[in-house]
Amino acid sequence: MTTAHNILIVDDEAHILQVLSLKLRNCGYSIATAVDGEDALHQAKIDPPDLVITDVQMPYMNGLEFAHALSTNKETAHIPVVVLTARGHTLEASDTNFPNVRKVLSKPFSPRGVAELCAQLLKDVPARNIGKRDVA
Amino acid sequence: MFTDPISISILIVTALTAVIAVIFALKLKTRAAEAVTAMKTAQLEAEEACNTLDSARIHGCIDRTRRRQVEAVFDVLRDAVIVVDAHGEVLHANEGASGLLSIAPSEAAGKLLVDVVVDYQLVATIADARSGLPKEGRQYEQEIKNDGETVAYEVHLQSVGHKDESMHAVVTVLRDLSREREIARLKSDFVSKASHELRTPLSSISAYIEMLEDGDAQDEATRKEFYGVISTETQRLRRMIDNLLNISRIEAGLMHIDRKQVKFQELIARAVTNMTPQAKEKSLEIHSQLADVDLSVIGDGDMLYQVIINLLSNAIKYTPDGGRITVAADTDNLTRSLHFSVSDTGLGIAPDQTEKVFDKFYRVENYRYVAQGTGLGLNLCRHIVETLHSGQIGVESTLGMGSKFWFSIPAERGQRKAA
Repeated sequence: MTTAHNILIVDDEAHILQVLSLKLRNCGYSIATAVDGEDALHQAKIDPPDLVITDVQMPYMNGLEFAHALSTNKETAHIPVVVLTARGHTLEASDTNFPNVRKVLSKPFSPRGVAELCAQLLKDVPARNIGKRDVA
Repeated sequence: MFTDPISISILIVTALTAVIAVIFALKLKTRAAEAVTAMKTAQLEAEEACNTLDSARIHGCIDRTRRRQVEAVFDVLRDAVIVVDAHGEVLHANEGASGLLSIAPSEAAGKLLVDVVVDYQLVATIADARSGLPKEGRQYEQEIKNDGETVAYEVHLQSVGHKDESMHAVVTVLRDLSREREIARLKSDFVSKASHELRTPLSSISAYIEMLEDGDAQDEATRKEFYGVISTETQRLRRMIDNLLNISRIEAGLMHIDRKQVKFQELIARAVTNMTPQAKEKSLEIHSQLADVDLSVIGDGDMLYQVIINLLSNAIKYTPDGGRITVAADTDNLTRSLHFSVSDTGLGIAPDQTEKVFDKFYRVENYRYVAQGTGLGLNLCRHIVETLHSGQIGVESTLGMGSKFWFSIPAERGQRKAA
């Protein structure tokens, strides 16, 4: 049986979702995507991922609100969150100071670097059987 | 004959009397001379006193005139000016200081500073300057109450007086920093937004290039798709930079515009022809409803063409497949203007967002998923129409029913020619 870590990628830019999904699938992860915080929170509650990568500036619910919502929910508080933002220079350390936010990366970013970070953050997390998510 | 003692005595007395008389006469003469000299001196002193008095009168007039001139200079300043003497009495307060005082500035003269200035911190600051050594001038920022609000001021203090005196007169000039602070905030917001918007396509470009380098695109079709993304995102970046530069040049008044007679029908026809392939891809129909009148205007043809293209391109982007776009133009004889509009059967815009769509980098929330944009196109249109052509631009829209973007520009000269 195939096992893989599940990663939820959240960004309102289709190109970013596409490039990260492909990169991380090529690395053997199972990927789910969402285009805003509200959609992502809904997905994470139904099927908690092993890791979340989220943009900040998104409609309906932004990435920081989403990360905060995850941290305050018993089912999702343990999920490590990577914030990937083009607003890096305007974010204060206190803006992302939630216990679940492990790293804040600035755009433009390196997909290779993101893949390495995912491997590092997930190295002690047991991979699960692949459910409904696909692996390339 | 004069040898007898009596005769000798008489002779001596007579001689003495004569000598005394001579001496007395001589003394009298000296006094008279002294008196004349004294009189002359007194006259000179009196003349000098008269001159001094005249001079004082003249100087008094000059001082009053100068003071009025200085006060007039203070009164035309937008900055607040408060002048106090060494005793802490107000000598002058200009109109700019009205918000800082509890009474009208014109009534403040002669009153104690502490009785008329509302902000006790400002009173303390001026009192400090009065009692300290006269200085060349001090300047610092201070939050001061103005009409009940706390306002940031740049305070300049200049004490006037001799160093040996314990108290000095003080001139205080206060510059309201609210506008500067607001401009700085807007500038910072703009740079922050511009940086975010420029980084977004740049992120895609750099990420896709790295994916190609790392061999993540495993087949030719994927590679081709990646090259396509890099190309479109580069164009998007270029458009954003062009738009940003054009907007900032218009805002700075540096945009040169080529004002000529423009045949508006031709601009519309060219724009419709150029946008038809894009419309066809989404099975959209573009209808033209141009009034059968002369649609010439005086303006910059290239810029007006860009406005038409932007409005038409937005209509195509945000109208679902199979929709309808109508381009209309007419003249309004009442306002002597040309009216142009692009209507669509697209997504429409919520009422609270219709005015914001012309702001820099504003994007309607649910539009992001439908099509990409720079967030600058409509702002540029507004500048071209309103700043450069003295026209007006606007939108009427119903959510889910479509939008009508329109603009009107003065067409007076073009119409006269037609008549």
